[in-house]
Amino acid sequence: MESSELKRSKDSVNSCESARRSSFPDEVLERVLSLLKSHRDRSSVSLVCKDWYNAERWSRTHVFIGNCYSVSPEIVARRFPRIRSVTLKGKPRFSDFNLVPENWGADIHAWLVVFAAKYPFLEELRLKRMAISDESLEFLAVSFPNFKALSLLSCDGFSTNGLAAIATHCKNLTELDIQENGIDDIGGSWLSCFPESFTTLEVLNFANLTSDINFDMLEKLVGRCKSMRVLKLNRSVSLEQLQRLLVNAPQLAELGTGLFSQELTIREYEELESALSNCKNMHTLSGLWDATGMYLPALYLACTHLTFLNLSYAALQSVELAKLLAHCPQLKRLWVLDSVEDKGLEAVGLNCPLLEELRVFPADPFDNEIVHGVTEAGFVAVSFGCPRLHYVLYFCRQMTNAAVATIVQNCPDFTHFRLCIMNPGQPDYLTNEPMDEAFGAVVKTCTKLQRLSVSGLLTDLTFEYIGRYAKNLETLSVAFAGRSDWGMQCVLGGCPKLRKLEIRDCPFGNAALLSGLEKYESMRSLWMSACNVTMNGCRLLAREMPRLNVEARGGMPHHLSLLSEMLGTRQTENY
Amino acid sequence: MPNMEFQLGLALPTPSIIKGFDLNNLGLDHPKDMGGLEARNKPARCFSDKSKRSFEQAFGNFEAECKTKTLLLLWSGQPNEEEDHNDQKKRTFSTIDDRNDAEEVDQVVGWPPIKTWRKKIFQQQQQQHRVGRIGNNRVADKENGSRSIYVKVKMEGVAITRKVDIRLYRSYQTLTNSLITLFAKYKKCADDDYTRYILTYQDKEGDWLIAGDIPWQSFIRSVQRLKIVRNWG
Repeated sequence: MESSELKRSKDSVNSCESARRSSFPDEVLERVLSLLKSHRDRSSVSLVCKDWYNAERWSRTHVFIGNCYSVSPEIVARRFPRIRSVTLKGKPRFSDFNLVPENWGADIHAWLVVFAAKYPFLEELRLKRMAISDESLEFLAVSFPNFKALSLLSCDGFSTNGLAAIATHCKNLTELDIQENGIDDIGGSWLSCFPESFTTLEVLNFANLTSDINFDMLEKLVGRCKSMRVLKLNRSVSLEQLQRLLVNAPQLAELGTGLFSQELTIREYEELESALSNCKNMHTLSGLWDATGMYLPALYLACTHLTFLNLSYAALQSVELAKLLAHCPQLKRLWVLDSVEDKGLEAVGLNCPLLEELRVFPADPFDNEIVHGVTEAGFVAVSFGCPRLHYVLYFCRQMTNAAVATIVQNCPDFTHFRLCIMNPGQPDYLTNEPMDEAFGAVVKTCTKLQRLSVSGLLTDLTFEYIGRYAKNLETLSVAFAGRSDWGMQCVLGGCPKLRKLEIRDCPFGNAALLSGLEKYESMRSLWMSACNVTMNGCRLLAREMPRLNVEARGGMPHHLSLLSEMLGTRQTENY
Repeated sequence: MPNMEFQLGLALPTPSIIKGFDLNNLGLDHPKDMGGLEARNKPARCFSDKSKRSFEQAFGNFEAECKTKTLLLLWSGQPNEEEDHNDQKKRTFSTIDDRNDAEEVDQVVGWPPIKTWRKKIFQQQQQQHRVGRIGNNRVADKENGSRSIYVKVKMEGVAITRKVDIRLYRSYQTLTNSLITLFAKYKKCADDDYTRYILTYQDKEGDWLIAGDIPWQSFIRSVQRLKIVRNWG
């Protein structure tokens, strides 16, 4: 740029008018901005000046709303006229664990009504923890002729009838992804609702459903959808049926099997093995319900290029896992049950040097005393063998400070560290001390840490560490921890990037709550349950921060009722 | 629907009843009395909440069970230029019980944090596999046809409770040998080799007795729990 142009744009830093006149037509700006995908980048862009704000809003095709109560659909539609794809999240995360009452809200219907009027060309809808009824699904199916992709994760309120409506009416559907929902599964005839002429499906995930489906219809559907790349079956599909499907769909990239346990003849076994190994593009494998050592070898040849293996529905033993992992050298993500025990995790460390993510779920979570499962030894073994590990979710019944210190020394790049010592308030089992130093080590060593879940016996010291060292932390989950308000105050006073804080059963009260007024301005949400906060404290907070949506529930026996006050105006979401 | 907002407004406890809440001392108080939170070694069901008590007192109901009180703050990020001050929506709704789906009454609600749908899968799998997998079943049919009897075993000074299947043993000696092996790694370095332990048990009447006095067969029919205590004598 010539110096005279430079001077001119510096002079007009507060007025885009001259800049516009000098070089940039709107269309060009819009075109450039349309290449921006990250919603955070788009937010930044929209704040530059009025012209950029307008160009951004006209060029945006996807909107992400992390909290459906932060903004109304009317505001969204007014600001962004050309949306084709919407992602909406509703209930607080703790609703996954039954801590939120059933009729809490987060209903999609009001949004759909506005979208039908303002975005008739809507193509994609991705919902997480929203309530959606069959009527809403039917309304969706008939209101948007171009509709292509529906993804429902951890939602509730609908049944398979709603799915039938989608299958019937959405002629251009490419994606139907139903995951982890509270769905009322009343039967499998929804699959038959896909018309015979329908061929566009690329993603079909119905692993969530428990009832039998019409296999003939499924086989025909898969046969004619030649672009299908993701197929996740439910438990009702047998091994023999799986083989028949795979023969017609070798192009699959992601496969979720049905039941992986059946009496097979030798020939049937070989056919299965062959069908699996013909899936040369397969990088993700899940399902494997009730898989036993007997038929796992059928997978060996198919696992060569596997990057994500989800064994969390198969209670494998350590030896079975070890044999399987020997064939998975490219594995980056692994989910297992703790039935594999420490020995199984040693095998992970030995066979999967590229591993980035490990999740270990408890096979028997509600029995605190039968000590099986994994211990600190398994986690340590993985950390020695997998230096690239950056995401871990680990359920265990014992842990030590020393082990965690070793783990983060081996794997300093953790971005997500979620440790669940299942007995609330349990100390280091060797020293009987609190687990403060463990999480201190995590936040001091792992400078990229974005998400942290803590557990075990924890004093306020843990939270001092977190507040002081966790500079990149965005999400923090706390349960049965802390000693006083000071703990929560440390977190609210530190952690510059904190966005989501969820707390249950901790001795944090009104003083702690009210110490975060400045912090709440930059956060998305705060959840506190079974703490020492009172209704008065909530009212005070709401009064101090009128732009905040504050909901407080008081529980009373026998006639529980819920007080909900929207004491503030809605803020527009920072997209 | 009763106007609960009105009722709550009347019945709110005055600030003097609320413990630990003093706006003038924000951040400076380290309240010592936080309601029985010192005993951390046992699995906590809920933490007694003195301020919630005042709600109960106000409404004349006393219950030992803990209630959930939830504070949920929802908002978005930075305020943007375009704010609509006219959009306000009041939501009131009621719920029957905070404790949804608490099938296991003696468990903490929503803990460990396993998603509901995953819990259902576990339950289905356990129902379908009564025999077989070691470690995944509470009760398994043994070859001799008798069923296992699991009893909890605590050792004094050790945080973790274990469980043993009493049916696996034929005598006090085999039981104690096994327990020694089980708990060996929890022995603290401070204990010298001469520290003696006694095995005690709780019988059907709830009494704690020293194990070994009654015949083995009577013992296994009567034992509810085991505890290993240090013998200072």
